[in-house]
Amino acid sequence: MAQSSALPVEQYNFDIVRKFMIVAMVYGVLGMSVGLYIACELAWPFLNFDIPALTFGRLRPVHTSLVVFGFGGSALFATAYYIVQRTCQARLAFPWLAEFTFWGWTAGVALGVITYMAGFSQGREYAEFEWPLDIAITLVWVCYIVVYVETVRRRSQPHIYVANWFFMAFLLAVALLHIFNNLAVPVSLTKSYSLFAGVQDAMTQWWYGHNAVGFFLTAAFLGMMYYFVPKQAGRPVYSYRLSIIHFWALIFLYMWAGGHHLHWTALPDWVSTLAATFSILLLMPSWGGMINGIMTLSGAWDKLRSDPIMLFLITSLSFYGMSTFEGPLMSLKSVNALSHYTDWTIGHVHSGALGWVALVSFGSFYHLIPRLYQTKLYSKTLVYVHFWLATIGIVLYITSMWVAGIGQGLMLRGFDDYGNLAYTFIETVEFMHTPYVWRALGGAFFVVGALVMAYNMVMTARASRSEQAALEAKLAAKLAKA
Amino acid sequence: MSENTQNKQQGPGAVQTTGHAWDGDLQEYNNPLPRWWLWCFYGTVVFSVIYWFIYPSWPVGQTWLKGFGTVSYTVVDKATGKEKPQEYRWNTRSLLLEDLDNAANNAQRKAMLAKVRAASFDEIVKDPKMMEFARSVGKGLFGDNCAACHGRGGEGVVGLYPNLTDDDWLWGGSMAQIHQTLLQGRNGFMPAFGQVLKPEQVDDVAEYVLTLSAETRPSDASERGKEIFQGQVGGCYYCHGADAKGLASQGSANLTDKIWTVINLPAQKALQDKKNLLKTLVANGVSNTRIMPFWKGRLQDDDIKLLAVYVHQLGGTK
Repeated sequence: MAQSSALPVEQYNFDIVRKFMIVAMVYGVLGMSVGLYIACELAWPFLNFDIPALTFGRLRPVHTSLVVFGFGGSALFATAYYIVQRTCQARLAFPWLAEFTFWGWTAGVALGVITYMAGFSQGREYAEFEWPLDIAITLVWVCYIVVYVETVRRRSQPHIYVANWFFMAFLLAVALLHIFNNLAVPVSLTKSYSLFAGVQDAMTQWWYGHNAVGFFLTAAFLGMMYYFVPKQAGRPVYSYRLSIIHFWALIFLYMWAGGHHLHWTALPDWVSTLAATFSILLLMPSWGGMINGIMTLSGAWDKLRSDPIMLFLITSLSFYGMSTFEGPLMSLKSVNALSHYTDWTIGHVHSGALGWVALVSFGSFYHLIPRLYQTKLYSKTLVYVHFWLATIGIVLYITSMWVAGIGQGLMLRGFDDYGNLAYTFIETVEFMHTPYVWRALGGAFFVVGALVMAYNMVMTARASRSEQAALEAKLAAKLAKA
Repeated sequence: MSENTQNKQQGPGAVQTTGHAWDGDLQEYNNPLPRWWLWCFYGTVVFSVIYWFIYPSWPVGQTWLKGFGTVSYTVVDKATGKEKPQEYRWNTRSLLLEDLDNAANNAQRKAMLAKVRAASFDEIVKDPKMMEFARSVGKGLFGDNCAACHGRGGEGVVGLYPNLTDDDWLWGGSMAQIHQTLLQGRNGFMPAFGQVLKPEQVDDVAEYVLTLSAETRPSDASERGKEIFQGQVGGCYYCHGADAKGLASQGSANLTDKIWTVINLPAQKALQDKKNLLKTLVANGVSNTRIMPFWKGRLQDDDIKLLAVYVHQLGGTK
């Protein structure tokens, strides 16, 4: 590490990494705050104030797009551009194209959420952008691929590091998913109709939706993990063999599991069965990444006591392991009969999104900040504060959603002494009020944690600037003397 | 730094790395796959294969493997009208029937349904057991289908949705009448008199109507209004009746009590405001705003019958 950080900064393009990291934090804080707001709306519905743009239906895609694409996407751009340069020992190819991906991506997300609030939506979950934005995003994505692959091609290392496999699988799969799911017939600038209909449309949507989770939120973040965990631990990755096997198993199996989002619908029973089993088969390949990450620390567990960044990374892997166990469980037909359409699903998604995606990104950013700003982190204590705020927030969120979801599921299948349904739907909603309040509280913890991090980041950047200025002044003084 | 060909030993007993190094110190051990991981993976494969044999799975040509799982449920034999058990290969729709059969206390439910089906409204009301059953069915049905408009307790919303807990019924409050309302729905209508009557005549009618519920004392104006109401000019009595107590056959309101369903008269404090509300109503009439949906075909016949009993016992009894 000492060897590499001694290298001159100019060797790599860190400017683009820094930009993406900043935008990720801005979109992250925004998106998480919107999430907190709509969580409060569910607990206290008057909060929509009868303003269409503020209703849950409009703000929900604003929240998901901001956190998945704005925060997660930008974090992936940042770390992918960082990792590919460092592990290929090559400067980022086509800097102007990379610059374009930055402005294109940032503007795309911003335009997307503004149009959602104005009421324009394709109505496809996690793909609500209308067709002009879809085309723009495709363009940006292709440029991303070109920059990335060309940088890999220009590598001065004979071998391609494992993190890059994951990023390349993610780049390819997301392009495929995005294009096919968004095939539509435009009828105006702001309205289009999907090319697919009925259950085939639903299947396409969930093939996309599930693999957005699989490739965007899992494979790519595993790429992030494969660089930052061994780097931060200062130890080799646990098993090269495991990384190969679980990589190929993961990317092969994920593609077939999307149907489990459509259990007990018009989806043919046989499709539903296959989707359930492919999800079960996914369990161990998913865990391969967790094992490889956590075992990398074996023999250096004491780092968890002294290094809050390691705490972020290892906790993220634990949540990753937990949610990739919960997912296959929920994909079984009989479990799904209870969990489907309840908040258990919401809790599950957030144990992955907050516990895995956000924590691993935070950990990676904390690793990056001092390196990108050429100074030490403003406050290590604040990193601990952030860690505990985030962890408490996640635990509150997940447990309250288990209570809400499983509780509602059981109420909806409860019978009274006469064999009639024991509860009306609205009674289940009343029951969920209390867990909804707890969930909002958990969300608040998480948002405050992200704000603490943003503060830490800003203070580090400021310290870096004044250090730089002091250095320049010293240099100028020396020159003047001479 | 580009490639580290010598295999580094990391501590005593550690396995070797692959020999590559990236970005300075980034290396990989060449540990074998963890045994337990591998066996768990094989376990999920075995589990999946078993799952494929139980449930419908792989597509083969134009069909698919049907699976060995079966479900059994009772069907009604069309020829004899008797129930008989049926076994069928596993599929979602049959499973629903099986689940309904096996639902907790289903035997009681079936027995009570048969009893209620054969009973008249009067018989149901007299039998505490059947009434208890009606309340059990009605609570869920009312909560999921009616409460959105009429409120959880049937209290309604003044001016929009009738209160079902009082004695004031537009379309009749007997169980048979409520049953009819549920089956076919209702569409409240009152003609607009704005074009027929002069403004001062509308004013007079409103004045008269206010005397009916003792909101105000009779006056010259109300006497003129009475003539319009009870005579051929307005003809209000056709629907509201000469006694202005409303006709269930027309769904017309009783104007002699203090209960208002189309306009929220009690909410107005000043007499003039009450009158203005009434005048607007008389002038504009009511059309296509007071629609009660029909439930025949949307709920089962037995359920609609029990719902009528349930609504009747909410408080409004006639």
